Formats: sequence, C-alpha cells, structure tokens
Amino acid sequence: MATQQVSTRIDALPRTILHRPFFWIIALAIAAFVVAPTIGNDVQLRESLLLAAVYIILASNLNVMIGYAGYVNFGSIVFFGLGGYLCVWLVGRPGFPLAVAALAGGVVVSALALVFGFGVLRLRGAYFALATIGVNEGVQAFVMNFSPWGGAAGMYLSTELFAPLGGPRQALWTIYYLLVAVMGLSLYLSYGIKVSKFGLGLLAIGQNEDAAAVLGVPTRLYKALAYSATAFLPAIAGGLYYFKSAFIQPSDAFDLTFSTEAIAIVMLGGQGTIAGPAIGAFFYEELRGWLLTSDTFSHFQLVVAGALLLIIVLFLPRGLIGTAHARWPDLRRIIE
Amino acid sequence: MRLPILAAIMLAAMATGAFAADSDTITIGMTTSQTGPLNVDSLGLQQGANMWRDDVNAAGGIAVGDKHYQVRFVTYDDQSQGSRVQQLYTRLVVQDKAQFLFGPYSSGLTATAAVISEQYGALMLTAGGAEPKTYELGNKYLYQVITPAGGYLKGAVEALQAHNPHAKVALVYSDDPFSKAVLAATSEQAKKAGLEIVMNESYAPSTTDFGPVINKIISSGADSFMGGGHYSDGATLARQLYEQKANLKWISILVAPGDDKFATLGPAALGVTTGSQWEPSESYKPEFGPTGPEFVKRYRAKFKSDPDYHAASGYAGGLILQHAIEQAGSIDQAKVAAALDAMDVMTFFGRVKFATDPQHHGLQVAHEMVLAQWLMNDGKLTRQVVWPKDAASAALLYPIPAH
Repeated sequence: MATQQVSTRIDALPRTILHRPFFWIIALAIAAFVVAPTIGNDVQLRESLLLAAVYIILASNLNVMIGYAGYVNFGSIVFFGLGGYLCVWLVGRPGFPLAVAALAGGVVVSALALVFGFGVLRLRGAYFALATIGVNEGVQAFVMNFSPWGGAAGMYLSTELFAPLGGPRQALWTIYYLLVAVMGLSLYLSYGIKVSKFGLGLLAIGQNEDAAAVLGVPTRLYKALAYSATAFLPAIAGGLYYFKSAFIQPSDAFDLTFSTEAIAIVMLGGQGTIAGPAIGAFFYEELRGWLLTSDTFSHFQLVVAGALLLIIVLFLPRGLIGTAHARWPDLRRIIE
Repeated sequence: MRLPILAAIMLAAMATGAFAADSDTITIGMTTSQTGPLNVDSLGLQQGANMWRDDVNAAGGIAVGDKHYQVRFVTYDDQSQGSRVQQLYTRLVVQDKAQFLFGPYSSGLTATAAVISEQYGALMLTAGGAEPKTYELGNKYLYQVITPAGGYLKGAVEALQAHNPHAKVALVYSDDPFSKAVLAATSEQAKKAGLEIVMNESYAPSTTDFGPVINKIISSGADSFMGGGHYSDGATLARQLYEQKANLKWISILVAPGDDKFATLGPAALGVTTGSQWEPSESYKPEFGPTGPEFVKRYRAKFKSDPDYHAASGYAGGLILQHAIEQAGSIDQAKVAAALDAMDVMTFFGRVKFATDPQHHGLQVAHEMVLAQWLMNDGKLTRQVVWPKDAASAALLYPIPAH
C-alpha cells in the first residue's frame, strides 16, 4: 500500500512538469538555439550563441546553490576548469573519444564535489564563500604543479584530434550542438530540482537552515548533493569548451572572473527563478559581444557594461525575472 | 543649364569608377589586448603593425602584378582572455572577410586563435607567441615571426660559458607558461655547455618579496643567475639582488631589462643581461623594408617613444606578409603560403625562415636573438648588444663589479 503511494507520487512528478507551459518554453528555447545558426550557415551567430550557452550552463547550475539553497559559491568555475582539464587530458593522451572523455570528466568532478561538499558546506555565509574560493585556488595550485597536465604551461591539443568529428570545421558544429544539449539538460535539471521534494528542501535551507533541520530536512546531505549535482554539467561543458579551444592553462581554467560573472548573471536575471539566470546569461553575453565589436563602444565597452550592471542592480534588485514576477504575479505560472 | 550638372554627374561617376578600380584592399584581422593584464606588451606589437600598415598605404599599397592593394586592419579587443579569442577570430574571417590574420599577443592566446586559422585555412602570422608547441601540432597555416622560447637565454648561456666555463648557475623563474618554457630550454643548454646548475626553482608570478629566494641563491653558492618572468617581477628581482648584496657575477633576466624603464633601477641595472628578439642598435642589411635606424627614427617620430622588440616584431610580421604577397604575385592563400614556405630573407628585424616539415610547420628557424646588457656609458645607463660578437655594439661586462 505504502509502496504504491510512493510510486504514484513519483509518477505524478514528470506528468505535472509536462503539463506546465514553462517545460515547453524551455524546449522552444533549445530548439531556437539549434535552428537559428543553421539558417544561412551563420557561424558568427553560432560562436556567439555558444558562449551564451556556456554562460547559461554556469549560471543555471550556480543558481541551484545561490537561488535555492542560499549558498553563494564564488568558486563555481573550478568545476568547469577541472572538467576541462580531465577531458583535454583524456582526449589528448589515452585518446578517448570526446563524448566519453567529457562524460568521464563530469562524473569525476561531480564525485570530487560530493566529497568536498561534505567538508566545505559545514560553513555558512561569508565563510562558505571564502572556502569555495579556497577550493578553486587550491585546485589551481595543484594543476600548476602537476606536470602530466603541463603544469603552468597547460595542455595543447592537435587540430588533428578534430578529425574523428569530421575536421575542424564540422567539429565546431558538433561541439556546439553538444553544448546546447548540456544547456538544455542544465535548464531541466534546475527545473526538475525546483519542483521536487529535494528542491523544496533546498528552498527551506535557503529560508532558514536551522528551521529546515528541525523540520527533518537532512541539510548536510541535501547541500552536498546540490553542490555535487551542480558540478556535473558545468564539468562536461568545460570539457567540450576546452576541447574546442584546443588549449587549456590554469590561469584561464580557474579564472575567478568567470565565477564572478556567473554570480552577476544570476543576480541580474533573478536568483531562484529558472528563466532568470538563463535570460540574464543570454543578454549578458550578447551585450558584451556587441559592445566589444561595436565601432562606437568598443573602446569603452567595459565602462558601458559596468554602468548597465549598476543601473540594473540599483533599480531592479530582484533581477529581471524577479521584478517581472513582483509586477505581474500571474507571470509566475508561465515563466518560472 | 542642365549640361554642367550632367557633366558633373558623369565626372563623378567616372571618378568613382576609377576609384573603385584602384581601391582594392587587403583586409587583415587581429585581436589585441587593449584591456587586461597583457595590455602593455600587446601595445608595442599593435603599434608596430599599425606603423607598417601606414607605411604601406602611404607608399601606394602592396603591389600585386599591376594592381596596388591598400591595407585595412580590423582589430578587436580580446581582453587578454582566451574565451573571447575564438569568437573574435571567427568574426574576423566570416563577417569582416579578413584575407589574412595576425596573431594575438602571448603564447596562450596564439594557441587558441590557431584553431580558427586552421578551421578556415586562413594564413596567420604570429609575432606575439614564442612557445613552440603550437607549431608542433600539425597546423598548416601558422607562421611564427619571432624566435621560439628556447632561444631567449641561449645567447646568455653561450656568453657565460665563454667567460666562465665553470659558472655555478641559479635558475629562478616565474611560474608561467612562457618563462617555464624558456627556462626548461635554458637548463638543457646550460648542462650541455658544462655549466653547473646549483638551483632550479620557480616562484609565483605575483611575488613581490624575493628575500627568501635570494637567501637561497646565496647559500646555494651560485655565482650566476638566470630567470625572471615579466616586467614587474623581473625588475623587483634585479633591485633586491642588488640590495641584498648577492654579489653575482652574471645576471640574466627575461623581458624586464628589455624595457627602457629598467634604467630607473640605477646601479642595480648595471651589468644585467637579457635575451632580446631585436635591439635598436642592430644593424642588419635588409633586403627590403626599412633599415634598423630608419625604423627607430620613424617610430620615435610617430609614437614619441622608443620601439621595443614587440614593436619591431609587429612591424616585421607585416613586412613578411607583404613580401610573400609580392613574391606570390597574388593574394590567393595557397600561393602566398607557398611564398612563405620558400622564404629565407633578411629584414631589419633579422633573418626570417619558416620550418616546412609537417611536424614543425611554420616554426621560426632562422631568426636569432641577441643578448643585451645594461652598461654605463658617459655616466648614463644604456642597453647595448653584447652577444653574438658579430652583432655586438659594445664589449660584454664580466663579471658585474662587486659593490
């Protein structure tokens, strides 16, 4: 009897998701990413959307920690960088196929995050944020001195390794589609967590961790699981991304700027929402890309980007989607 | 009444027609680090390239058969970040229709940009990436204008061996890709030359206090020093070696002493040597393009500062491409590539020749670096070429006087 109840509850979950309009909005967004650059074989658009997809992956996963559980992870880039290193190394040395190497990177990084998570997540607030920076710096120091991975000089991949994917030109399309797939999975993971009991537990932790613990939420386990789950897809994305670059070095792979940008994106878009970080990431990347190459703004693109960020933080403190939700409460049912 | 207007229109049409026939342009794309940590080093490279473009255009453009092509640059800021480089180079090729590419500054960014050059089969001349690995990966469209990392302190090892075959050398260098690549090669060269390496250690690029490191150098019994990294750490290292009275007979530091600012160290700069891609006092007899003194004079007039080797290599990159296009008599990529492969020329920057075997294609094999030393000349510190002897503009100072 009890088992039956549990199983119907699990069955009910995906069905309710499928009935929500937002599930299909995500699907439409992914389809747009897939189709848009193929119209007119627009390589330029593809490169720009590729970076947007990377930002969406980083921001969506980070959002689970920041927006749901209320833990600001400053060093989230360590997942991306470490995943990149594992994948580049596995493809370059033992000659693994890209998909296997990227997936292996994801699994290893996720497992490491689970171990780290149990330790680091005993800390709260600013101490946790500092510890995540420490994890990133520690891993960077390790990689810098780890000669099989090229130490400070990094690792280079021969463009000949693109041959199994149909040569460099075709390979970049394949990598793009794979990254869009990872982006889609990130969005659905973020969505799936939010509507699950696990997500509810995380939100409770975000509201008041002690109260959540008293009410029976296994806070340490949940936090570590969230930390680990949100390491998986960024690590795979890192693998694909650095395979595409054909070069990885510690100062790029563990660059805290990337982490900080991801946090800014989550804040801009609206933390805790699913659409927020994704829309934030998309506009952030498109804006930066446009400013960089614009004839008028390219010389002071950082000034313009900074001013815009400031305006948004000052006037839309809940982020784009958060503000929209407050203004039009009905919107919550469509854009989650 | 209408006639003059009609005539004017016709004239205008003819003029634009004539203009169109003459206005063939070659578009060259590149990214530079206008922001971010590589900004200072990237600037020289860009100014050198800009000066070449202005020179070519002022002289009527690049001659291809009976046509003359004006040179147009499209430049974007890569923010010193690898993440932007591929996006921007793709844009340069696809959207801006750049026929040729110049590489970005630094070995890391060059490696990242190389993928795009390979993908589109776009020729790329790199004057800002010394690390040789990128050229050993089977790339077919890259051409390295400058001497690879292994050559930076080769002259220093040779000169030291000539003056003290039993020197005890401490190798202490910044923990970054470029410095590590240089010092790995230096270590091999020193061993081969029979010098004794008594210390081999790297430090974090952000180090500002070298006290403990210098104590270690002193206690290792070293009488010679080779290492450093980029400007700020190298200059600090030189100053602290002097202040702590390490009393070394030989000091070679990467990059920093190549900058004129190094003279502000005063007595600490005296006798310090550095490997340089090019020095203003070099006097090669170029087969084409400006001579060294001409380049220096015009660079000073244009930018109100002395050219460093980054500026010279930026100019040389343009010159080499121009020569290859003229030799090929075409702007067709394959023909220009063939001309680059066959090239073995002398320019104001020195000799330039590219490896053509598939394992090292595009690697620079002819350009020689020189060893420059800070010497006291009429009470003023100046940097002079001291090695190899046939390129020297002053006698080498060995040992550095004790103080």
